Amino acid sequence: MALCGVADTGSHSMDKSITLPPDEIFRNLENAKRFAIDIGGSLTKLAYYSTVQHKVAKVRSFDHSAKETDGDPLYEISVQEEITARLHFIKFENAYIETCLDFIKDHLVNTETKVIKATGGGAHKFKDLIEKKLKLKVDKEDEMTCLIKGCNFVLKNIPHEAFVYAKHADSEFRFQHTHPDIFPYLLINIGSGVSIVKVEAEDKFERIGGSSIGGGTFWGLGALLTKTKRFDELLQLASKGQHTNVDMLVKDIYGGAYGSLGLTGDLIASSFGKSATTDKEFSKEDMAKSLLHMISNDIGQLACLYAKLHNLTRVYFGGFFIRGHPVTMHTITYSINFFTKGEVQALFLRHEGYLGAIGAFLKGAEEDNPNQYSWGENYAGSSGLMSVSPELNPIQRARSGTFDMLEMDRLERQLVNLPLLQDATSYIPDTVDLTEDALAREYWLYCFEEALDGVVKRAIASQKDQPEAVERAEKFRQKYRHKLQTLRHQPFAYGSLTVRSLLDTREHCLNEFNFPDPYSKIKQKENDMALKYYLKVVKSVEELSWEQRQFNLVKGLLAGNVFDWGAKAVSDVLESDPEFGFEQAKQQLQERPWLVDAYNQWIERLKGPPHKCALFFVDNSGIDIILGVFPFIRELLIRGTEVVLASNSGPALNDVTNSELQILTERIAAMDPVIHAALKEDRLALVQNGSSSPCLDLRKLMLCEVPLRLDKVLATVVRERGTDLVIIEGMGRAIHTNYYAMLSCESLKLAVIKNSWLADRLGGKIFSVVFKYEVPSKAQGQH
Amino acid sequence: MALCGVADTGSHSMDKSITLPPDEIFRNLENAKRFAIDIGGSLTKLAYYSTVQHKVAKVRSFDHSAKVSLQETDGDPLYEISVQEEITARLHFIKFENAYIETCLDFIKDHLVNTETKVIKATGGGAHKFKDLIEKKLKLKVDKEDEMTCLIKGCNFVLKNIPHEAFVYAKHADSEFRFQHTHPDIFPYLLINIGSGVSIVKVEAEDKFERIGGSSIGGGTFWGLGALLTKTKRFDELLQLASKGQHTNVDMLVKDIYGGAYGSLGLTGDLIASSFGKSATTDKEFSKEDMAKSLLHMISNDIGQLACLYAKLHNLTRVYFGGFFIRGHPVTMHTITYSINFFTKGEVQALFLRHEGYLGAIGAFLKGAEEDNPNQYSWGENYAGSSGLMSVSPELNPIQRARSGTFDMLEMDRLERQLVNLPLLQDATSYIPDTVDLTEDALAREYWLYCFEEALDGVVKRAIASQKDQPEAVERAEKFRQKYRHKLQTLRHQPLLSRRRMTWP
Repeated sequence: MALCGVADTGSHSMDKSITLPPDEIFRNLENAKRFAIDIGGSLTKLAYYSTVQHKVAKVRSFDHSAKETDGDPLYEISVQEEITARLHFIKFENAYIETCLDFIKDHLVNTETKVIKATGGGAHKFKDLIEKKLKLKVDKEDEMTCLIKGCNFVLKNIPHEAFVYAKHADSEFRFQHTHPDIFPYLLINIGSGVSIVKVEAEDKFERIGGSSIGGGTFWGLGALLTKTKRFDELLQLASKGQHTNVDMLVKDIYGGAYGSLGLTGDLIASSFGKSATTDKEFSKEDMAKSLLHMISNDIGQLACLYAKLHNLTRVYFGGFFIRGHPVTMHTITYSINFFTKGEVQALFLRHEGYLGAIGAFLKGAEEDNPNQYSWGENYAGSSGLMSVSPELNPIQRARSGTFDMLEMDRLERQLVNLPLLQDATSYIPDTVDLTEDALAREYWLYCFEEALDGVVKRAIASQKDQPEAVERAEKFRQKYRHKLQTLRHQPFAYGSLTVRSLLDTREHCLNEFNFPDPYSKIKQKENDMALKYYLKVVKSVEELSWEQRQFNLVKGLLAGNVFDWGAKAVSDVLESDPEFGFEQAKQQLQERPWLVDAYNQWIERLKGPPHKCALFFVDNSGIDIILGVFPFIRELLIRGTEVVLASNSGPALNDVTNSELQILTERIAAMDPVIHAALKEDRLALVQNGSSSPCLDLRKLMLCEVPLRLDKVLATVVRERGTDLVIIEGMGRAIHTNYYAMLSCESLKLAVIKNSWLADRLGGKIFSVVFKYEVPSKAQGQH
Repeated sequence: MALCGVADTGSHSMDKSITLPPDEIFRNLENAKRFAIDIGGSLTKLAYYSTVQHKVAKVRSFDHSAKVSLQETDGDPLYEISVQEEITARLHFIKFENAYIETCLDFIKDHLVNTETKVIKATGGGAHKFKDLIEKKLKLKVDKEDEMTCLIKGCNFVLKNIPHEAFVYAKHADSEFRFQHTHPDIFPYLLINIGSGVSIVKVEAEDKFERIGGSSIGGGTFWGLGALLTKTKRFDELLQLASKGQHTNVDMLVKDIYGGAYGSLGLTGDLIASSFGKSATTDKEFSKEDMAKSLLHMISNDIGQLACLYAKLHNLTRVYFGGFFIRGHPVTMHTITYSINFFTKGEVQALFLRHEGYLGAIGAFLKGAEEDNPNQYSWGENYAGSSGLMSVSPELNPIQRARSGTFDMLEMDRLERQLVNLPLLQDATSYIPDTVDLTEDALAREYWLYCFEEALDGVVKRAIASQKDQPEAVERAEKFRQKYRHKLQTLRHQPLLSRRRMTWP
């Protein structure tokens, strides 16, 4: 990755004439507007808004009304240019500021911009330089206001923004699930001094306290005591020291614990107490450690007292004292745990360093009303959280001193949660958190790396007509492999690592190199083929008795789901044996009883009155949707149940997209009067799910992106039709995510486990069947 | 005053063979019983209970009933005056440097007549260290008592029994000390004990207290970090350095960052944004004085803020400060007071105690005397036998100050009567007996001190005349003259910080 090259150059010399790799940092500068800059004591954070042009795959139906020709494909695939908005944030050392300003001036094409919003202590110092270089007027914004604005923004828009730090736990970072209501909270900003700010609403905050014992005190006293002038070095010293050599402990005074007061023997009674009366020399390391403990404990205690006094439980820590320093995160966490006995957790933020810049940017963009949109982190363009264990990845760490990036995409849709979720606030889409499950993490990272060659091949194949596709595909391979490697060393880089985030990162990287839909051709071919068998399958099912028919329809649904190019085991079979057919797939299925088998309950339910409306989250294109899903919903429609098919808004693997599904449905309706009538009478509806992921997030994240949440239209349709059955199909949507989701109506979650490792973990074999039918415990009043 | 002589001897050499003047310290040792000792990091506090025999004048009516006649005999006086011996109980508390401990123990052993006593109650960090020495010298069993329990017990005792025990410190006010009027209900209160570390104790009743918080940033931190930064090893010297320093040379102020106040956050320009913030990025040398001052501010402000937060959280308004960091040090009393005022905007006052140094010893003594039920009696400070509060302005009275290192005493008399207030008082809690407070009224103080000194000769004469039959009365009257004149002089020299609230006669 070119960025590492920059880091190396940077560390060899602090020369300002470094060459910046334009395709890596300051991306999309041509269209940039609305600049904001936050200049701190040592780091500069630059923010700008830009538009990104990228390719999207579109499908368009041919006019089939005249003639059915066998040789013609079902629909036409075209690639179009689309423009989306993106926020860019770049962080670099103040030493590079001049080089960076020159670079920006040279690459800035758009001249609309007249003003740059500035905040931070250094804004004043560099004002003239910025105005001279960029010819933009520097407009200063209040530091604390920017900080709070930025904090609100990341808490609202970035999932897993906040984390708990646990030094000795399996996973260093434990990410918090986003809570829809972020207020009120306490922000403890530890810069030179400490500011304690209570934030009650978007524009309502108050500095309720503070302390002069902060990062500057650690640095200043540390420099005086150890003659070490660099902050990082002081922390390094501290991490090697033994505070007990300098501090007076309770046991040093009382010979042990002071039980009647509840003080343990190891508690620090007096920081630096031993140096008061002992005449010996103290080591730099020990003094630095003692100082660190003294300051962290003090801040921790103040934070707890203010939290208690104001009845707040969410306490976020930020500022240069904390930023990316495991030592201080650990001591602060320890202190908070000690003082609140676990009642309050110390929370840290992944993008804490960007808060001021984000806030300043938002101040400047107020007329654009950025809060009305949903924004999401772009995994391809963001550096991710640094490894904080220096011994883990020393090369990676060097980068932190140079350039670090955050990019956020604007989503055009407002996303809301599925109204049928039993409890939206406690809903967690992902079944396994890979940051916490080391074995699972190792397996899936390996799995995605193994599959990479195939994805690259498929990407090239999807653009055979474009010779440079090979080169782009190679770039994609490098970027995604680098991300996987980063995640192997720093699983926490983008928040909680999940199968979903691995899939999404791959989609972001593919899009980044203009492979908007590598599976488009395969999907087209499969859809074509499957359509030919549709009537045959429907007829064969119709001949069966009611009981047999129901079982056959479910088996068809499951067999169809075996056809999944996303799962490596299946794509292997499909590529080596193209004759692997639908019937064979049925035979391949596990015999009942299945791994999870609620079929009997389902049949009993079907003997009762029909459901009012079924919402079906569909999975793959081809055999799955056409020969599995359609015959199944056909039966539901005949029973008198309305059906809503929810499919992806954008492409992901071989999942059927909404635009593809529209064409398919028309074609099926042309063949099948039942479907035709249902469409005409609006008993069958198609909606987008708002996502471009093979997984599914049913949650509401106000104004959030990461293209995973439900489209607003879907939510309305669900409510209006009185949906009383939700069907979720496929490994991505029903196993990796939503396996434990509790819905307020009946639900069916079904999938074939096409991954032997996962099957093994669930206690079954490959091609095991999960058929989970759930009825909420209490009677639901939906109507 | 003999005590000064001792101080001089003590300062010339730390020799343990100093001679102790028996009629000044360790008084009434013959009858002493119930010893208690509190050994701190540098000072030892000894407490004992003793009985004092002294003369009281009694009057008795003659029997006039027999010869009731129309003429009263002119030659006969109305009633008879006699002098009798009376025995009263007295508590003695003596404070001296740990260096004198062996001499003192020897002295006590030699003068201790009463042999009932078998046990000495001990508390404080040094109790363990000196246990064997005490047991060997005094042949008393050392019985250790919990430090915090003793401290709180002692605190309750002085707050209840000594009028004007608590005071507010105001460096630049007319009178440095403003004594608080005793409130009949002393609970609940917060005690912030600043020793090596800080303990924050909530006291709700005589026997109900809880350590609700604490901090490792305390006196030991000032001393320890101060020693590392300035190479000055003595606590007093560090405070001296601090009182001469300029913290703004070392601390980063709000105006150093923002060029002025940060108005929207309500931060003034002179507020310390970061303690030692300037030494983080500046390469110059910092003076010892400046660093000591910055350190002092840092620690005092921090303790002040913690005290305020705990007071608010527990809804307490009476906050007393004690411990060696505070004890008799105007510099720390000032910074703590400033900090409390800053953080509570005047809602909470920092209170200090005149006898704060004795709390542990008093508490340990009370633990040992529980069977005597000392709380059922009323106790009063004996002004003749107590040293009084030290001058805290070193420049005012340097000779007096030297004494602080040696012997300091507190004596309390037991009053045999339970005293209650007149039920007809409209508001007993706000009732102040004295009309003029001479500590606050300098003109009146000057006049009255002069007046009492002028009257002294007459008082001496009258005293001698009252005991014409006793030839040594002249000598005793002279001793009285000297002692009272010395007291008056002390009060004159320490006008702003008299040992107690000075009032009219």
